[in-house]
Amino acid sequence: MDLLAQYVMNGVMLGLMYALVALGFTLFFGVLDVVQFAHGDVLTAGAFAGLAAYAVAFHAGVHSAVPQLLAVVLAATLSMAVLGAVLGRTLVLPLKSAPPLNVLLATLMGGTVLRECIRLFYPGGSQPQRFPALLPSASWSLGRFTLRLDNVLMILAGVALVAGLSLLLRRTRLGLQIRAVAQDEETARSMGIDFRLVVLVTFAIGSGLAAFAGVMHGLYYNEVNFSSGLLLGVIGFSAAVLGGLGSLGGAVLGGFLFAGLQTLGAVALPFASAYKDVFAFAVVILLMTWRPTGLIGEQLGERV
Amino acid sequence: MPRNVAVLRVVLALLLVSLPASAKETVKLAFIGPLTGGNSAIGLGGRNSADLAVKIHNADPKAKYQYDLVVLDDECKPDTGVQVATKAGADRSIIAGVTHYCSVVAVATVDTFHRLGLPTIVWGAVLPDITYGHSYKEIHRVNGTMINQNETAAKLMLKQGFRRWVVIHDTTDYGKGHDKYFTQFVTPGGGKILGDFGVTADQQDFTAELTQAKALNPEVIFFGGLTPIGVRIRAQMDKLGINAQFQGTSGIVNDDFIKALGPLAEGVVAFREGAPAEKLPGGKFFLEKYAEQKYPNPPEAYGPFAYAAAKLLMDTIDKVGPDRKKVISALAQVKNVDSITGPITFDDHGQNTVAAITAYVVQDGKWVVWEDSEYASGKRKLKGR
Amino acid sequence: MTAYRPALRVLSALALGAVIGILIYGLLAAESEKAVGLVLLAVALTVAAGLRTGVLPRLARAAGSGPLLGSVALAGVVLIAVFHDDPFVLLLVARALLVLVACLGLHVQFADAGVPNFAGAAFFGVGGYTAAVLGAGEIPHLLVLLASGAMAAAVGSLLLLPLLRTRGHYAALITIAFGLLFRTFLEVNEGLGGPQGLKLPGLRILGFAFNDDRQLLGLEVSGFAFYCLAAGVLALGAVWLVRRVERSWLGVSLDAVRLDETAAACFGISLGRWKIAALTLGNAIVGVAGGLSAMMVGFIAPNNFTFQESLVLVSILLLGGLGNLAGLAAAALIVVWVPEKLQPIQEFRYLLFSVLVVLVLVLRPGGLVRRRARQAFGSAAA
Repeated sequence: MDLLAQYVMNGVMLGLMYALVALGFTLFFGVLDVVQFAHGDVLTAGAFAGLAAYAVAFHAGVHSAVPQLLAVVLAATLSMAVLGAVLGRTLVLPLKSAPPLNVLLATLMGGTVLRECIRLFYPGGSQPQRFPALLPSASWSLGRFTLRLDNVLMILAGVALVAGLSLLLRRTRLGLQIRAVAQDEETARSMGIDFRLVVLVTFAIGSGLAAFAGVMHGLYYNEVNFSSGLLLGVIGFSAAVLGGLGSLGGAVLGGFLFAGLQTLGAVALPFASAYKDVFAFAVVILLMTWRPTGLIGEQLGERV
Repeated sequence: MPRNVAVLRVVLALLLVSLPASAKETVKLAFIGPLTGGNSAIGLGGRNSADLAVKIHNADPKAKYQYDLVVLDDECKPDTGVQVATKAGADRSIIAGVTHYCSVVAVATVDTFHRLGLPTIVWGAVLPDITYGHSYKEIHRVNGTMINQNETAAKLMLKQGFRRWVVIHDTTDYGKGHDKYFTQFVTPGGGKILGDFGVTADQQDFTAELTQAKALNPEVIFFGGLTPIGVRIRAQMDKLGINAQFQGTSGIVNDDFIKALGPLAEGVVAFREGAPAEKLPGGKFFLEKYAEQKYPNPPEAYGPFAYAAAKLLMDTIDKVGPDRKKVISALAQVKNVDSITGPITFDDHGQNTVAAITAYVVQDGKWVVWEDSEYASGKRKLKGR
Repeated sequence: MTAYRPALRVLSALALGAVIGILIYGLLAAESEKAVGLVLLAVALTVAAGLRTGVLPRLARAAGSGPLLGSVALAGVVLIAVFHDDPFVLLLVARALLVLVACLGLHVQFADAGVPNFAGAAFFGVGGYTAAVLGAGEIPHLLVLLASGAMAAAVGSLLLLPLLRTRGHYAALITIAFGLLFRTFLEVNEGLGGPQGLKLPGLRILGFAFNDDRQLLGLEVSGFAFYCLAAGVLALGAVWLVRRVERSWLGVSLDAVRLDETAAACFGISLGRWKIAALTLGNAIVGVAGGLSAMMVGFIAPNNFTFQESLVLVSILLLGGLGNLAGLAAAALIVVWVPEKLQPIQEFRYLLFSVLVVLVLVLRPGGLVRRRARQAFGSAAA
């Protein structure tokens, strides 16, 4: 029973991280009908930005955990928000009227550029970097299950973020504008909404979320690696697709679903937990064959 | 040879001849090691040491040739290793190679070097198969194999009173080899292997394996693999509240392991063949000369072996000339040749016998030789003692 | 005047082949970085001149036509003879040719059928592993190579249903996920060698071992020269095949499907059948290239087939310009050779290619030479 609790806890942590990434994908798709494949690498870049901020803070004499944590999170989310907006401005908006495959390719390559820049230009970038443990490490043991305070804190923070995003979209004017653009771009424009601004802000929000997920990833594993963004990006996209692109609830659902699949795979195939990724991706492909536009479907209309 | 390249070479040769200082012919040596990625600290240490050997040899007026070190990165991946090995072997101007730290790569490239006829001396890979798995005359090794390493490890750990192990190893022959030999030596002494888990070399999340390991309640977690995964497993052991002793192999004896773990590395035990640089016959000389060059990285555990390998190759080429075939026959005759790591003798499989095995423990952020540590004297205790 | 046409065609083809041969020779023979830089400059100038004088678009359309292919093949044989005992150069040539074949397979899927395949390296790997498993036994190696292609097509058929039911970025996701899945599977699975990979025997056809160095006409010929010839034959075959497909009814249907699926369906073109044909053919071509490549190197490991490698193949397609076979060949050569020749950029090669592709996509999405629409009547070739 306590073993099960441990697995569930692991699954929840992973699910939350995936959900945050999936939310970004779904936001971009909703607003602009594009898939921004550099998103996973934005996550990694955010984690590295946080790491750099930590190093700077440490050298500047800041030695207690709370301001360090604040510096890391702020640096990561703000810098990635800016980067996200830049990516939107340079890679996505100009290719708006090009075949959708071009945007996909451009952002895939953009992600590679980001990843390679980290590997080549960050000092020691090609090796896994130690991420500082900034959260309190208190833990309680209930049998074989260890409940850690830092995990609980991260879950609370993640939930708060998702709730905050939902509030933003439903209760604020900006959220109204975003939803309007997502629904019908032309009408929104004719209503006086600044289309470009909304798009850039959405990219900024989505990338900030990814950066937060990156910091979470770093705190959870105590490590960041330049190549982790690729797999996380694909998983995040799969999760968003599973839940149905364009649906926020679907993105969260997809994230936890994917984490659940991975945990199931790890439990069911104990001899080689590495098979869990094979298992999870195979299921994703099957699910997409059965429901090509996700579990909570997408309304697809095409002008002929 | 294409004509204009030949012309260029003649011109270059004339230029070289006209320069008074460098009248010696230049001979190329290849150095192959993991210069990027999780094992780069050791790779760079090896490269610097080989480079040191070349510099010292070039400065010696008695040397017959001028040597040039061609540095290639195998990234600790077998496919990249085969690519650079093919490159080095196919380049006729490279006469010999100082090769590999990662066993996975070394075992993949033996065929390539044999096919292209390049004599090589391995400087850091410990898998026995690299020299004993075939009968190619091109492959030699100056460091020891993992068999003796694990024998000493089993003896020491049993003496400390440990009886229950869980083994986590990577799924390459390196990890599987450690698993096999350690189990072989620890079981007759009363040790029990409660569980055995294989993990992939770039695995990130070990909570599945460690949760199961925790359920088995071991005294020691024996890890057969390299630094990147070693770091992750030790860190995640702590997260899951596993209080067992962590025991590793030569794969984790480097500064990066300690740097990445911080206080969690305290008390970790590991073993490797060869003595630490200070205790080697030529150790003091090596460390002094190394410090003079002001390299940004330390030589790490296998630097002296890389130095010895490079020096042996250069001395051999000086004797028989820059001809691959002659170098191969000369290397087969190596018996009791002096080097900074002690006398080198290649057996019929090109393997040097290295008798000394050193046990290490992490004490206060440094790898300390076991016998010199406070753990051996009893002032500090390993986990669970 | 018309009587001279064929002669003129052959002569101009020979001239073009000679120019290409000389440029390639320069690229291969250059040893210092300055020399390589100079050759690249020469190439750039030639290309610019070609664009200005309108020779380049005509060359692009003529690529794959008999005389030009023949003269390029002739130039190739001459080059192989010139570098007969330099295994490094021969290895580069063979690698470039095999990458070209793989990209031709992807070309059929991507440029003709409009199906994005981000798992190209995975199918290359399937071919290689098939050759590893079958080549160790008694099966004649020619059959092994064919089997590599067949196996790649078979594995690809697993994705047929998902790819037919999805479109655009969903289809892309499926291929990406498959590529990752395949690599992880190979790493974990002990049966196929795991992370250590498998060793392969050298190619041996009718008792002729390709790995061995030989003495021919008093010259030392490296084993790699024969692999170059084999790769060259494969490349010629692939180019011919792709050209024929493009000009056949298969090609016309694929064009219709790619340009407007709804309209094609209205005209009764079976989308499924033609997409399946393109996918299967493309995968088979990639698989055969993978098999030959694995036998040449003598070793295969899961790390050869990462997503990054698939992206490199796709980059070559984009840099060369979709629908442009000559551009594809040029891009393949540059992508494979330049990082090897310019050591300093070896480390930066992924970064460089990605930046180039992004620039091409944003600034000149049609590639260096615009793709011509198919003409119903009149000559479509120079």
